[in-house]
Amino acid sequence: MALAIEQTTSATRPARRLQLRQLGQRWLPWLVPIVLIGVWQLAATLGWLSARVLPAPSTILQTTWDLLLHHNLLGDIAISTRRALVGLAIGGSLGFVFGLLNGTFPLSERLFDSSFQMIRNIPHLALLPLVILWFGIGETSRLFLVAFGVFFPLYLNTYHGVRSIDPKLREMGIVYGLSKWGLFRHIIFPGALPSILVGLRYALGVMWLTLIVAESLASNAGIGHLTMNAREFMQTDVLVMGIVIYALLGKLADTIARLIERRSLRWQVGA
Amino acid sequence: MSIRGVELGLRGLGKAIANRTILHDINLEIKPGEFIAVIGKSGCGKTTLLRLIAGLTEPTIGQVALDDSPLAGLNPAARVMFQDARLLPWKRVWENVALGLPGLNADQALQALHQVGLADRAYDWPLGLSGGERQRLALARAIANTPSLLLLDEPFGALDALTRIEMQQLVEQLWWAQGFTAILVTHDVEEAIALADRVLLIQNQHIALNLPIHLPRSRQRGSAEFAAIKDQLLGAIFGAGYPLATRVVGA
Repeated sequence: MALAIEQTTSATRPARRLQLRQLGQRWLPWLVPIVLIGVWQLAATLGWLSARVLPAPSTILQTTWDLLLHHNLLGDIAISTRRALVGLAIGGSLGFVFGLLNGTFPLSERLFDSSFQMIRNIPHLALLPLVILWFGIGETSRLFLVAFGVFFPLYLNTYHGVRSIDPKLREMGIVYGLSKWGLFRHIIFPGALPSILVGLRYALGVMWLTLIVAESLASNAGIGHLTMNAREFMQTDVLVMGIVIYALLGKLADTIARLIERRSLRWQVGA
Repeated sequence: MSIRGVELGLRGLGKAIANRTILHDINLEIKPGEFIAVIGKSGCGKTTLLRLIAGLTEPTIGQVALDDSPLAGLNPAARVMFQDARLLPWKRVWENVALGLPGLNADQALQALHQVGLADRAYDWPLGLSGGERQRLALARAIANTPSLLLLDEPFGALDALTRIEMQQLVEQLWWAQGFTAILVTHDVEEAIALADRVLLIQNQHIALNLPIHLPRSRQRGSAEFAAIKDQLLGAIFGAGYPLATRVVGA
């Protein structure tokens, strides 16, 4: 009898421990941010933190709510997102196309690659004053900068992805009668895809960074415009909110990219 | 056995790479549906011969004739099975087979997988397959389009001994059923004798021996005739030193 009890407890205990561990795994990453926000709120409520330096999280939430209701905050977010995506579409697709061309055709590589490598070494944000001189402070200069910034990560990674495909697979495709388009569709593109997606994730980071700088210096709408106005009127809560929104948008973009990655690279884990 | 293999003629075929002669004056007629094995020491040019027949490299001199018309560019009749399976890891098993089929025909691909005993893995990813299964898949891909010429470039070299025998039997079965012409490059003398109608030995850039094998199929590897042919081939490869050397080591 004692033996039986011993067996059941030893059988359930590991199971419960496993459940607890799974729960811990799931929520552990949230622990540090939650504690930090708690301490921050506490410090602000107790008056250790001046609202001018750093307003309480509750104040920031309240401000966000007000802006959402009365000042078309969603409109500003939409404008910033649209700018980011249009810039990414232009610069990213150019980078992708040139990566494919230079990875496939030696002539194209000889012609373009060394120039790209040269331009790549310019910190693209350093171009901002020049870009403003060229295009003024309108939409064009912001899109230009974002497109310029995302071009290189996508170009380099696409190029590298195409170049690193096993030539034996290419030969197999030729022996099995694939056309040029078939080779691209079945072998070159899927083979380069892991590298292209790494480039995309990197480009997303560059995209937000560039947009923040471009919107802060020259803008009449969007999150950057909002935070710059807030700085002039010493509205620290709006400033912090803007930063948090940028963080959330960046995280969202990265999550989407990771989902795409997981879906299109399922073959790597064999699931 | 229905014969619909292609007839091959190698006429005065020679290949040099960077002034080094790999093959010189190769002359050979291969009947439709014949099974040829090519053996030789590594680096003797047997893979080059296969690549010439596949149309993957151009001969320096001479020509390959396909049903009496000279081959230019890629050989349209040929399917090649390589030593490494060369699968596309991003395509499921059946899609790998369908790669060489017009219109990526799924039924035909499943049919070919069924023939190599891999039908139950059709929807898996190739990365989950064992070495033997990978070569099975490569074989299914090679025969899916019912080719008239199958070129095998040491396809079982990397497999363990038992899986290798299984694969050899499978290739023999398929060859018997489909009647394609087969050319097998191998360094395994037993494999050559077990499968081929004729064994070619390549040495000093040319065909040093062209030996028909008249043993009935399927062949018993333990039989005295089999052993005698093996001795004859090894003797031709190593010259007079072959049996002597083994005796010295054994003593």
